[in-house]
Amino acid sequence: MNTRRHALKSVAAATGLSALGLPFTTWAQSGELVVAAAPPITGVFAFAGVGLNMGVNDYCEWRNEAKGGVMGRKLRYVSEDSGYKMDQAMAVFKKLMAAHKPPVFYGDSTAWAKAASVEVSQLGTTLTCSPSFASDLADPDKVPYYFMAGPTYASMCAILLEYINSQAKGGTKPTVALVYSDTEFGRDPIEATKERAKKMGLNVVQEIVTKPGSVDVSAEVAKLRRARPDYVIFHGYVLAPIPEFIRQMREAGMTSTQFMGTIWSMDKSTAEAMGPVGDGWMGVMPYRYSHDTKDAPAMVTMNQFAQKRRPDIKYVSTFYTHGWLVGSIFAEVMERVLKANKPLTGPNMKAALQTMTDWDSGGISGLPVNLKGHQIATGRIYRFDANAKLFEPASGWIKTA
Amino acid sequence: MDWITFAEFSLIGLFSGGLLALVALGFVLIYKGTRVINFAMGEFMMLGAYLVYTGHSWLKMPLWLSMVFGLAGISCVAVLVERFVLRPLAGQPVVSVLMVTIGLGAFLHGTVDAIWGGQNLEMPQLLSRKPFIWGDVMLPGAVFWSFWVALAVIAGLSLYFRYSRTGIAMRAAASDPITAYALGIDVRRTQQLTWVFAGCVGAVAGTIVASISSLSPALSGTALGVLAVVILGGLDSVAGAIIAGLLVGWLESIAVGYFGGKARDLVPYVVVLAILMVRPYGLLGTRDIERL
Amino acid sequence: MRIGDFRASYAHDESLLITRVQRSWMIGFVGLLLIFPWVGGSYFTYLACLTGIHVIAAMGLNIVTGFAGQISLGHAAFMGVGCYTVAWLDKWGVPFYITIPLGGVVSALIGMLVGIPSLRIKGLYLAVATLAAQFILMFVFREWDSVTGGVRGVNIAPAQLWGWVINTDKDIYYLIMLCAGMLLLGARNLLRTHVGRSFIAIRDKDISAEVLGIDLFRGKLMAFALGSFYAGVAGGLMGYFYRAITPEHFTFTLSIFYLAAIIVGGLGTVLGTILGAAFMTLVPEVLRSVVTLLTLWAPNAMELLSPMREMVFGALIIAFLIFEPHGLVEMWRRARRFFHLWPFKT
Repeated sequence: MNTRRHALKSVAAATGLSALGLPFTTWAQSGELVVAAAPPITGVFAFAGVGLNMGVNDYCEWRNEAKGGVMGRKLRYVSEDSGYKMDQAMAVFKKLMAAHKPPVFYGDSTAWAKAASVEVSQLGTTLTCSPSFASDLADPDKVPYYFMAGPTYASMCAILLEYINSQAKGGTKPTVALVYSDTEFGRDPIEATKERAKKMGLNVVQEIVTKPGSVDVSAEVAKLRRARPDYVIFHGYVLAPIPEFIRQMREAGMTSTQFMGTIWSMDKSTAEAMGPVGDGWMGVMPYRYSHDTKDAPAMVTMNQFAQKRRPDIKYVSTFYTHGWLVGSIFAEVMERVLKANKPLTGPNMKAALQTMTDWDSGGISGLPVNLKGHQIATGRIYRFDANAKLFEPASGWIKTA
Repeated sequence: MDWITFAEFSLIGLFSGGLLALVALGFVLIYKGTRVINFAMGEFMMLGAYLVYTGHSWLKMPLWLSMVFGLAGISCVAVLVERFVLRPLAGQPVVSVLMVTIGLGAFLHGTVDAIWGGQNLEMPQLLSRKPFIWGDVMLPGAVFWSFWVALAVIAGLSLYFRYSRTGIAMRAAASDPITAYALGIDVRRTQQLTWVFAGCVGAVAGTIVASISSLSPALSGTALGVLAVVILGGLDSVAGAIIAGLLVGWLESIAVGYFGGKARDLVPYVVVLAILMVRPYGLLGTRDIERL
Repeated sequence: MRIGDFRASYAHDESLLITRVQRSWMIGFVGLLLIFPWVGGSYFTYLACLTGIHVIAAMGLNIVTGFAGQISLGHAAFMGVGCYTVAWLDKWGVPFYITIPLGGVVSALIGMLVGIPSLRIKGLYLAVATLAAQFILMFVFREWDSVTGGVRGVNIAPAQLWGWVINTDKDIYYLIMLCAGMLLLGARNLLRTHVGRSFIAIRDKDISAEVLGIDLFRGKLMAFALGSFYAGVAGGLMGYFYRAITPEHFTFTLSIFYLAAIIVGGLGTVLGTILGAAFMTLVPEVLRSVVTLLTLWAPNAMELLSPMREMVFGALIIAFLIFEPHGLVEMWRRARRFFHLWPFKT
C-alpha cells in the first residue's frame, strides 16, 4: 500500500514540476523572428504533417545559413503537434502566441483556420497559413490575415474541369462524376465545381459522398458504376478509399475511366501506396515535383538542403515542398515589411502580401506567383507513371480566375 | 424500382454483413464470457492487422505464417489485458469497466501510432479479388470471400463451443460462474480464453478489412458501428450477431444506394434506437432478470 | 487537527462550509480565481476558460451518471444542441443572458427525449442508446444546413452586455466562472434536496426505490433533463468562447472525455467533477509540454514521442481505474483526513 502511494506521489510531483515548464520551453532571443506552427504530426494527417513540419523548419534553417535570416534577423521555427484536432491546435496556437508573439503562424487544418480566423483578425498581429485551401478562406476582406500557398479547392477542381473539357473528342463532352468525403475539406469545392461544370457543358452524372475513412465502399462503387462516367474526380481524401474505388471499377470492366484527384492525394507515396491501380492516376498539383528541377533553382536548393539535413529522405515529398514554399512566402512578406521600415503588424504584412503580384518562387510554382487574392491560383495536371514511380506533367501551367 | 439495382445493393449488403457479424462476434464473446462490453474491439482489430503486416513485411514471413504470428501476438495481448486490466476491475460498477476498455483502446491506439506511424500501409492481398458478375450485377471478390471466411470462423467457434470440453466449460462459466467453480471449472482460465478468442476474431476481421482498404491506425474506428449489430442481435447471442450482421449490412447497403454515403453513419444508430424501444434485449438476447 | 467541531444548529449542520478554516480557504480560492487572468497570462487564462466549460459539462454528466446512475455516452451532442440553439438565436440578436439559458432548456428537452428509452432499458443498453443519440445528433448537426450551417459551421457574434463586448479570453473568463460557480452550487444543493436524494436512490437500487414510492421514470427523465441542461449551458458558453463552431467540436471523443473526467475525478461528487475536468484538460497540455521540452535535447523527439501522449493518456485512465477507483476526490479526502487528524495517523 505504502509503496504504491509513494510511487503515485513521486509521479505526481514529477508531472507537477514538468508542468512548470509549460510557458518556459524556449527562450526568445531579441531580434529573432519567430515562425510558429501547429502542424498535424500525429493523427490522420500525420504522413503530411511530418513533411510540412520539416519543410517549414528546414526553410528557416536554410534561410539563416544562406542569407543570414531576414534583414539580418534570424528565423526561429517553433512548433508543437496539433494531432489534427481542432481544440489541440487552438491550444497550441494560444500557447505559442502567448509565449513568443510570432508574426507568422502555420496552422493544421480548415477547422483550425476558420476557428482561429476570428481571433487572428481581432489581434491583428499575425499572418497565418495552413494546409487548408478552403474557398472561404481566400477572402482578403473577411479573412484578412490568412493566405494559402496554392489555389483553393474550388480552383483546383476548376483546373481539372478545364483539362477534362480540353480532352473532349468530337462533339460529345465527357461525363464527370464527383466522389468526395463528408467533411468540410471534402465538401468545400463541390457546389462551385458543379456550377462550373454546368457552365462548361460537362455533365456531372453522379455525385458520391462517403464517410471519411470508410472501409466498405462496395455500395458506393456500385452506384458509381451505373453512371458510367468518363472521368471521376476524388476530393477530400488522403488515400483511402480511392484505391478501392479504382480497383472495383477496373474489375467491373471500366478500364477507360480516368481517375483524378486534388493536391493532398497527389504525393508520390500516396500514388505508390495505391499499388498497380495507381498507374495513370492524374490530378492537379500547384507545384513542381522535387525531381523536376529544370529551370527551378529553388527546387535544386531545396533538394540539396534536404539531402544534407535529412539524409534518410530519398525523395522530397510534396508536403515538404509546400512547407518550403510557405516558409519562403513568410520570409518574403516579412522582408518586404522590414525593408519599408515598418513594424511587423497584421495590416502591414497583409499589404506586403498583396504587393506580391509577380513574385518569382524559384520554380516551385511554374508561373510567377500572384498573392493579391491571398491564394496562388495556378496549377498543373500531372499523371503518375507506375513504372518510373514518378508524376509527370500532363499539361502546361493553368491559371484560374 | 429497378430490381437489378436493388438486387445488386442487397447482395453487396448481405455479403459485407458477414464481416460485420464477425466483429459483432468478438463483442458477443466477451460479453457472454465476462459481461463486459469491450470498447477496445476496434483497437484489437487494428493491432491484429498490424501484427500480420509486421510478420509479412518486416519479418518477411510467408503469408500463412504472418497470420499465425498475428494471432499469436493478439493472444498474448489479450491474456495480458485480461490479467492486468480487466481482472483488477472485477466487481466494479459497469461504468468503470466501460471506461477502462476505452482507456485500453486509447493506449493500444497510441502504441500502434508510435511503433508503426500514422501513414497508410499496404497490406498483402489475402482474398481473391476476382469479381462475380451476373449481367449488370457485380459482387466484388473481396466482399464475397470475406463473407465465407467470416462464416467459417463463426461456424468453427460455434462447433467448438458446442462439442469441445473447453467450449462447454466456457459456456458454463459464462452462464453461472459460481456453479461452474463448484464443478471444478477454472473460471479465470475460461475468461482468459474468452478474451483470447475475441482477440483472434478481431485480428482476423481487422486483417480482412485492412487488406480491402489500407492499413492505418484509423482502422479502429470501424468497430463502433458494429455496436448496433450487437445490440440488434442481442448482446449475448452468437446467432443473433450473425442475423443482425446480415440485416444491418443489407440495410446499410440499401440506404447508401438510395440515399448516398452519409446514410452509412445514420443507419446503424437508427436501427439501434428502434430495436431498443421495441425489443430491448435484441432479437435473440436473453432477458436480464434483476433480483433484489 | 480539527477539534471542537460541533454544530449547534440545524442550519450549521447542513451548511456546505462548516469550519472557519474551510470558509477562509474558500474565500482565498475565490479571490485567486478573480485575479487569475491578470496574473496568469493569456495562455493560462485560455486553459482556465476551457476548464470552466468542461467543469460545467462534466457536472451535467455527473448528475446523470454519478448521481442517478444512468450511463450517458451522448453528452457532447447535448452540448452541441445548446451551442447551436445559441448560434441560431444569436442570428436574431438575442442577448447572451437569454440565449444561454434557452440553449440549456432546449438541450434539456432533447435530453428528456433521449432519456425516454430508460423506461425500458438500463445499464449498458441505455449507454448504447445514448451512443446512438450522439451519432444521430451529429448527423443532424452536419446535415441541417439552414440552422447549423452544416459541415461548414456557424459563427457567433461575441456576447454583449450594455456595450461591454465580451470578445477576449479575459472577459469571457469571468462569465464562465460566474456560470460555473452558480451551476456547481446548484448541483451541490441538488444533493441536499429530495430530488437529488431520489437520484441517488435510483442509482443504488432502482427496484427498491420504486418500492419506496419514487417514480422511476420521472426521476430518470429529470436526471437526463438536468444533465442536458448543464451540457447545453456549457455548449452555449463554448459557442461564445470559440465563436466559430463546427460539428467537429461535439464528437463522440468529447463524450468519452467527459465520462473519463467524472470517473477519474470521482463519480457522484461535485469536487470530483472539478478535479476530473481540470485533470483531463490539463494533462494533455502537460504531456505536450514535456514532449516539447524533450525536443530541446532531441530534435526529432516530437515525431517519435507525440503518439506516446495517447499511450500515456490511456495508461493514466487505466491506472486510475485500477488503483484509485473512487477517483481523485478520494486522494483529496485522504489528504484532508491526514491534516484533520494530525498528529494522529489516519
